[in-house]
Amino acid sequence: MRQWTRGQWVLRLVVLAGPLLALAAQALQGDPPHSLMVVVTALLAAGFARYPESLAGAVAFAMVLASWWDGGAGRVDLSALLAAAALLASHVAAVLASYGPDDVPLDRPLTLLWLARGAAVFVAAPAVWLLARLLWDQPEQSGVWVAGVLAVTGAVVFAIVAGGDREPA
Amino acid sequence: MRDRSAGPSSAWQPTGGLARSVVVATVGVVASVAGGRPVLLVLVAPLVVAAAFGLVHRPTMTPVVHARLGHRLLHEGQSTVSRLMLAGADEAEQVTRVAVREPFVRVRPAGGRAARLVGRGPVDFELSPRRWGRRSVGDSAVALTSAWGGFRWGPATTGGDRVPVLPVSVRYGSRAESPQPRGLVGAHRSARTGSGTEFSGIRGFEPGDRLRRINWRVSARSDRLHVTTTRAEEDAGVLLVVDALADHGRSEGIGGRESSLDLTVRAAAAVAEHAVRQGDRVSLRVVGREGRQLGYGAGWVHLRRVLGALAALQPSAAHDGEVERLQLRAAEGTMVVVLSPMLAEVLGTVTATALRRGLPTLVIDTLPDGAAPAVTRGTDPVAADLAWRLRKLEREQVLSGLAALGCPVVPWRGPGTIDEVTRRLARRAQQPRVVVR
Repeated sequence: MRQWTRGQWVLRLVVLAGPLLALAAQALQGDPPHSLMVVVTALLAAGFARYPESLAGAVAFAMVLASWWDGGAGRVDLSALLAAAALLASHVAAVLASYGPDDVPLDRPLTLLWLARGAAVFVAAPAVWLLARLLWDQPEQSGVWVAGVLAVTGAVVFAIVAGGDREPA
Repeated sequence: MRDRSAGPSSAWQPTGGLARSVVVATVGVVASVAGGRPVLLVLVAPLVVAAAFGLVHRPTMTPVVHARLGHRLLHEGQSTVSRLMLAGADEAEQVTRVAVREPFVRVRPAGGRAARLVGRGPVDFELSPRRWGRRSVGDSAVALTSAWGGFRWGPATTGGDRVPVLPVSVRYGSRAESPQPRGLVGAHRSARTGSGTEFSGIRGFEPGDRLRRINWRVSARSDRLHVTTTRAEEDAGVLLVVDALADHGRSEGIGGRESSLDLTVRAAAAVAEHAVRQGDRVSLRVVGREGRQLGYGAGWVHLRRVLGALAALQPSAAHDGEVERLQLRAAEGTMVVVLSPMLAEVLGTVTATALRRGLPTLVIDTLPDGAAPAVTRGTDPVAADLAWRLRKLEREQVLSGLAALGCPVVPWRGPGTIDEVTRRLARRAQQPRVVVR
């Protein structure tokens, strides 16, 4: 840790703060997460920030998902977008931090590339959020969510395959 | 130049980031669908896309990396570039290169750590060895990452090159004559007459004298032919006796603190270069376990050989009795330059022997100021300090003894240190002396 550059410190802070912000966003729904859940997630996030390649990140994210499953009665409001942004920021920061040893300085073009990518993939969150809001008041039909997920997945895969050649190699 | 792949596990491996996004996306989607919680789908939707992009850009080619070094021979303080060459890395998006830390090798940029996009040009390191010796330079670990950070190849080592780092070459001008030039042709004024340019005297013509030597003005006044005589110009031999029995003090590379061996090697290099520049013959004798010896030679190729031998020095105590049997094999007229911290008594003996043979001899004291003994773990520091003080007292005695024999001892203070001493030795050489054989 003593060898971390300033950029690495910033990245690790973002990695640490992401899951905690996602939990805090749940409180905006009026249903704060369980304190034990917060403590465990904070510990996992700290481990995630120290070792961004470790499994601690996936477990911390899973804890956030579990907390959102449990609270809010499944409501889909704007706080979900905030939580999605926090998780994505934490993920992107961890990817940037794990490009080399702790004392490797951040490459500016690479950082900008990932900021652009983060902004691009975040578009999926409001898209799903809008879809969920539209369908929220509709009477639930059997298999509508499965069909929806399959449709979205198919669209994503098609977009990736179609645009794969234009990605920087 | 060596090619490197990442060894047995040279395949592209999924990164922790890809594993995280795939796991979280799967858990979120399944939980959302199975539990009827669309909010979870909102949370993981960006990770689903990121994971999909990472998976789709899985590379198929196996890269090959190697580093190319700009120079094969360096002087300390000089710099060269180690360029990372990539082949089969078209599918890699990003490259991370970390230089292996090597003592006395400065790496730029950022202490030998670089991460950048592959498309933004080669990853170069500027390497600058800070101390003479044989150094491994250019050794680094390289890792490649595919687009969207999904897969990583490496790290693989590029391997370093063992490069001889010659001691810094400091030019200096000196007008001091060699004490006893004995060679054939050279730049030193000889004590005997010959075909040089410096005026020696005028004497009567003798058969065999060249006509162009006739001094017509004197001949016309004296009604007899006279010729102008000149001093011969000869080269001289310089024998460098280098003490490699131990290294005292701390070395910080060029520009920093110097150890005794640093001072010894750099002083020997400077004297050797000066001698070669004057056309003198230089020989090298290393006092140490290796006991390396280089014969007399002149010219730049020989100087390179001398510098190479100096760069290969390793401090090592000699075998029992080996140093005592040391013979200098110095011809008459050779100037003996002993470079030593004079902490080994045998160096005093060698110097005294050269003096008694009538060889012009001088000692360059290379013990740095404030040098302290390297105390091994478990040694009583008080006892070590006492032993060091005793050793320094013995050294003072040796130096006093040499001074009594007429041997100049000068501490090395950079180029020109031995100028005045050489001048005095040259004056003394013209005086009558008794030689003990």
